[in-house]
Amino acid sequence: MSDDDTIDPADRGKLTAAEYVLGVLGGEERREVKRRLAHEPALASEVAFWEERLGVLADAVAPVAPPQHTWSLIEDAIPAAEAARPTSLWQSLAFWRGFGIAAATLAAASIAALAYIGLVPATRAPLMATLAGSSGQPNFVAAVTATGNSLVVVPAALLTNDPRAIELWLILPGPNQRPRSLGLIQPGQPIRLTIPPDLAGHLTPDAALAVSLEPPGGSPTGLPTGPVIASGKLTSL
Amino acid sequence: MRSQLAAALARVAGGDRAALRIVYQDTCAKLFGVCLRILKDRSEAEDVLQDVYVTVWRKAATFDPGRASPITWMVAIARNRAIDRLRMRTAGGRLEPIEAADAVSDPAPAAVERVELAQQHQRLTRCLEELDARHASAIREAFLDGATYEDLAARMNVPLGTMKSWIRRGLLKLRACLER
Repeated sequence: MSDDDTIDPADRGKLTAAEYVLGVLGGEERREVKRRLAHEPALASEVAFWEERLGVLADAVAPVAPPQHTWSLIEDAIPAAEAARPTSLWQSLAFWRGFGIAAATLAAASIAALAYIGLVPATRAPLMATLAGSSGQPNFVAAVTATGNSLVVVPAALLTNDPRAIELWLILPGPNQRPRSLGLIQPGQPIRLTIPPDLAGHLTPDAALAVSLEPPGGSPTGLPTGPVIASGKLTSL
Repeated sequence: MRSQLAAALARVAGGDRAALRIVYQDTCAKLFGVCLRILKDRSEAEDVLQDVYVTVWRKAATFDPGRASPITWMVAIARNRAIDRLRMRTAGGRLEPIEAADAVSDPAPAAVERVELAQQHQRLTRCLEELDARHASAIREAFLDGATYEDLAARMNVPLGTMKSWIRRGLLKLRACLER
């Protein structure tokens, strides 16, 4: 880029993100930006700015129906991709600490969750879920009491001081189900939540739980508005 | 309330395949159009499209609806993949016209999102209008075709240094205008 010396060097850095998003860089320069993106949050946020702002230019492109078979090829490709899930908010934002003690804390959290719900004699087996980030890192363990009307959530990893609230959602099976809020949980301590009566019957092994980051006080819309940082299916013990 | 698409992405993040199908149905024609425009080759665009949805499946958990709209997030993934693919072609790559393709109607996004996107579009258009017309048109073409500085200079018949200067000045002005 030394061939254009009329541009202020201070602006050059900003330009890199814009040029990358616009798509004018050659193969080697693109790879260089991609490498830097992994460890330069300022560059990544500049890239996000341009992606969001320039993205509307795609409105000028006419939609074209892809061939019918494309979907089945995607569906076939998913399990393999899932096994290798490499990217994650956890790694990219260094969101959590203590990766190395994950297994031990997961075990401890599981025991704590079981202790909290108590070994109440019941006809129904308790349900548990390990809520993991997209890298597979377990972050919370949740257990539903045998009576089915409350839920204990125990952190299995240590959160940094993020000012955002952490909200727990019930994801029911089926194509038209919206996530239903189960309430706010705490990053640093176990919490017991009462399950709203209209949802109590829906915590079954088909359902999943998810955790998202929300503005203080929780999602203002009744749906997750921030990134989903952990999720997992309920399983019967 | 955010769109169905954002809600479906949240469920994709939870590993729900049915939700990915909804996302696919809502967005595949738009994203295929974007890939095809960049690659100008149906079979390559199909490959890239598959890769795009596998990426959406893996990265849905990193989508932050507070910072990006679902469709621009997905357009960014599609363009990124298509441009990478384009750059992988050996020199002298094909530039054939797009074969006759069946245009389809664009599925309507939810009302709120449609309003937000319209506002963003208006804002960008207004800012592009403040630029020198040649700079603005080079920026549009670069975005839509994923063309390099070299391609654009050849197309618009100006020296490479001139093209770089047009686009860089244009981008800096655009940044300032968008931030206002």
